[in-house]
Amino acid sequence: MLEIEGLSKFFGGLEAVSSVDMRVNAGEKLGLIGPNGAGKTTFFNLVSGTLKPTKGKVTFEGRDITGRSPHYIAGKGIVRTFQGINIFPDFTVLENVVLSCHLKPGVGLFETVLRTGRSRRKERAILDRSRAILDLVGLDKLADASAQSLAHGHKRILGIAVALAAEPKLLLLDEPLGGMNASEVSETMALIDRLWDQGITILLIEHNMRATMNLCRRIVVLNFGRKIAEGTPDEIKANPDVIRAYLGAGAHAA
Amino acid sequence: MKRSLVGATIVCLIFLPVFLSGPYYTHVFILTMVNIVLAASLRLINLSGQMSLAHGGMMTIGAYTSALLVMKAGLSFWAAMPISGLATALVAYIIGYPFVRLKGIYFSIVTIFFSEVVVLTAQQWQSLTQGAAGIFGIPRPDPVSLFGILHADFSSKVDFYYLALVLMLLCLLILYAVEKSRIGMILRGVQQADSLAESVGIDTTGFKVLAFSVGSFFPGVLGAFYSHYISAINPDAFAFLFTIYILIYMTVGGDGRFLGPILGAAVLTILPEVSRPLKAFEPFVFAAVLIAVIFFVPEGMVGLPKMLKRAKPSSKEGAAHA
Repeated sequence: MLEIEGLSKFFGGLEAVSSVDMRVNAGEKLGLIGPNGAGKTTFFNLVSGTLKPTKGKVTFEGRDITGRSPHYIAGKGIVRTFQGINIFPDFTVLENVVLSCHLKPGVGLFETVLRTGRSRRKERAILDRSRAILDLVGLDKLADASAQSLAHGHKRILGIAVALAAEPKLLLLDEPLGGMNASEVSETMALIDRLWDQGITILLIEHNMRATMNLCRRIVVLNFGRKIAEGTPDEIKANPDVIRAYLGAGAHAA
Repeated sequence: MKRSLVGATIVCLIFLPVFLSGPYYTHVFILTMVNIVLAASLRLINLSGQMSLAHGGMMTIGAYTSALLVMKAGLSFWAAMPISGLATALVAYIIGYPFVRLKGIYFSIVTIFFSEVVVLTAQQWQSLTQGAAGIFGIPRPDPVSLFGILHADFSSKVDFYYLALVLMLLCLLILYAVEKSRIGMILRGVQQADSLAESVGIDTTGFKVLAFSVGSFFPGVLGAFYSHYISAINPDAFAFLFTIYILIYMTVGGDGRFLGPILGAAVLTILPEVSRPLKAFEPFVFAAVLIAVIFFVPEGMVGLPKMLKRAKPSSKEGAAHA
């Protein structure tokens, strides 16, 4: 589904991401882990178009999307969430999702100014879809609450709902569990599983190791911008390079 | 309630010229309506999180385009006015793409430079614009008659008053429809979190340019109206201070609501005319009003009722505690 060849990003002399090859297969849940500063978020930014790669190639469903703009890539079906809170704070929860249903069912903009019958029907379809998304993520009861008044965990969930509104085929989740308490973590993990059941391919960055090991069948490990390991959770746990990267012991030398 | 209030205001405006004593006050109300459209259209650009200071420049472009189309190309004013608006929007669209790459104050700065370039072009392109002296004797609009009953030959200011009224209502209607549509929602989304908007597939650059371009259409049209109304245009008629005034109308009225710039422009245009000393020190008065509003009523005049409501219960509470 997503193929990445020799992807690199240099900031001056710093190799934030350095010749990474990776493949995401349709319908899988892939975990991307690594110590702080390993280049995970930079990697997401390169795939989603927020940053332009220095070198390398990103292919999605056979189409070269290297260096395209983020909205173009989102339109092709790769949607990312952000680390930390990223919502439209001045809108209600429902409005956040309604606004994000931008790509489908494509409302002609000048139609909406003129309020033609067709545009109204489409607006209603968007509203129905937005409510369905809120049902799915469990924010339906908070639909009319102001987004900035939500609790931290709910804001993070709303961030996922916003991404879902863009109809992703591949969903890039950047630390979806960050700052959540234990019950929120298990709810969010269940949500990610539900999304996967609906056929959305998941690529997950997460620091919560136990959650990643439970959720993903395959894991890729980055360290200092390079891919150092790839395999099943059990293989990763036993990999000496990964252990060295996480526990320090002379990792720079290796 | 809201609708009937709008209706009542329009009816008042239709009968107002009957009560205005003399052409001077008619002129003041024409200016007021022009300023209202300028401030309301500036808000549309502002909605996308960009502060344009090119409104004066855009108005100059509209004014010259229309004057030249009528005087050199022999077009009717009724064709030249919308064409001027479209031409201005096109200019904004073209410069929009490089400009919106800059964010915040940097965007505002290039829009100031752009306005200066417009002024300099009008001054230097002597063969076309007659240079710094400007163009004089711009003809009045061709006479029109509606339903064979209402005739307007634009020999008196009252005819221009009604033209300005129709223009203002049309422009406000369009601006309102755009703001309440999905476009308005997207623009506010872009203002709040543009990388998030981009990540769900919204072409944020495109929408910023759209706001800048549509928002510049209106000063283009009003520039055309104004040059034919005054019958003259010179390069620095709508200079930097003019643009700053529009910004002040919007901010003092309150840029958070559609009504804000309308209210701000109306009060600040009419008020200095009521008292001469106020008029003489206009820039000082405006600056003082602006500072006072920013400090005490950050939401602007439209935020006043809400503030008063909030102040009341708290004073009752205070009394109860005492």
